Amino acid sequence: MPEKKNAETNSSTPPIDRQEVLERIGGDEDFLKELIDIYKQEFAEKAELLAKAIEEKNFQVIREAGHSLKGASANLSLPALREAAWEMEMAGKEQNLEQAQKALTKLKKEYQRLLEYLG
Amino acid sequence: MKNTFVETASRQKSRFSVLVAEDDPLTKRLLEKKLKDWGYTVLKAEDGNKALKTIKQPEVRMAILDWMMPGLEGPEICSKLRQSKKPKYTYIILLTARDTSFDIIQGLEAGADDYMTKPINFMELRARLKTAHRILELEDNLIKAQKKLLKLATMDSLTGAWNRRTILSFIREELERFKREKNPFGLLMIDLDNFKNINDSYGHQAGDAVLKNIVKMLKKNLRPFDRIGRYGGDELLILLPNCNIFNTGIIATRLLEHIRKNKINFRHRATLSATLSIGGTSTDSISQPNLVKLIRTADRALYLAKKLGRDRVTLFGDSIKMEAKEKKNARKEKR
Repeated sequence: MPEKKNAETNSSTPPIDRQEVLERIGGDEDFLKELIDIYKQEFAEKAELLAKAIEEKNFQVIREAGHSLKGASANLSLPALREAAWEMEMAGKEQNLEQAQKALTKLKKEYQRLLEYLG
Repeated sequence: MKNTFVETASRQKSRFSVLVAEDDPLTKRLLEKKLKDWGYTVLKAEDGNKALKTIKQPEVRMAILDWMMPGLEGPEICSKLRQSKKPKYTYIILLTARDTSFDIIQGLEAGADDYMTKPINFMELRARLKTAHRILELEDNLIKAQKKLLKLATMDSLTGAWNRRTILSFIREELERFKREKNPFGLLMIDLDNFKNINDSYGHQAGDAVLKNIVKMLKKNLRPFDRIGRYGGDELLILLPNCNIFNTGIIATRLLEHIRKNKINFRHRATLSATLSIGGTSTDSISQPNLVKLIRTADRALYLAKKLGRDRVTLFGDSIKMEAKEKKNARKEKR
């Protein structure tokens, strides 16, 4: 069973656990690049979708988009993004618009940090 | 497991196809790539409805279903598939980001075989798919063995006709139907004339071949729902649903003539001619018919056919019913 990653994430921890994700995909660097590209595209789409859903108070979409972004982040070993996506999913579930707004800000900030890290 | 390792792609192709149902593109691509590396044929679905449609395809024997998907969710797909009449078993692994025990139980009760939590540990997934493989192979072998056993238990191995026990149980079933629906059926008891001579002149293997070929020839001249069984050595029983005594006679005569007119192979390029004696009866010519009465009446008719010189059909009814009919006719004549 994978360990639960509830550890606090802060700006000093790297946004991607490269070793962990490489282990998971069998050490294939090219494949990792492909996955990162898929993630970038997915993130752009989901961020847009989420902004719109928050505007329209569509909690169902907030929850679903948060959930699937959480899965993607987990599979790519992006702990901070995973946490932010989880907060988004919870906000959708609890119908908390303020929390959703906060989670979106956090998602965007962490995504920016990832892009900078990847260079 | 901190050491980095490079896996080698499996060269052996799996005969089972795997459905990956996952709406998150990254997870889907990840699964697809790994499964292909391991030799699986992968089918993909992005939402629940497409997943349900795909999982019903016969070649899909394994499925990795995401719990949360647009349309139908993973457990719903499980229970819908289990209720469907897909003939071969499909092994389902549910994928979930949630990991409370409540969810796991709900998923398993919906009909999933296994579950995994995200992020996917691929070493673990591969091992679990091997388990799936093993279970599917066990299932396939079991079904194959059951089919073979059923055949062995119901067929006569020499002639390919039903064996004695099975043909008798078909007659019992037909009698039950007759009691409910009053639709008569006929019964023929057939004996190959001079079978002993064939065995004595050409050997038992030739005798076996003749018997086998006669069954084949009779089958070709019967309706698809007629049933032929081996009653004893060279005695056959034929059950003719939906036939009164008149129709029974017509079919019996047709069979008799067919065998008489055609040569029978008994060895490579060697043929002989043979004739049959046929005794027949039907439920409409017996009062309160049961299995014993039917067999006994057909047997008596066959005995008479042989006694009268073989190569003929004799039909019998029940003497009480016959007498009643005669009395009725006699009364009519008096008037």
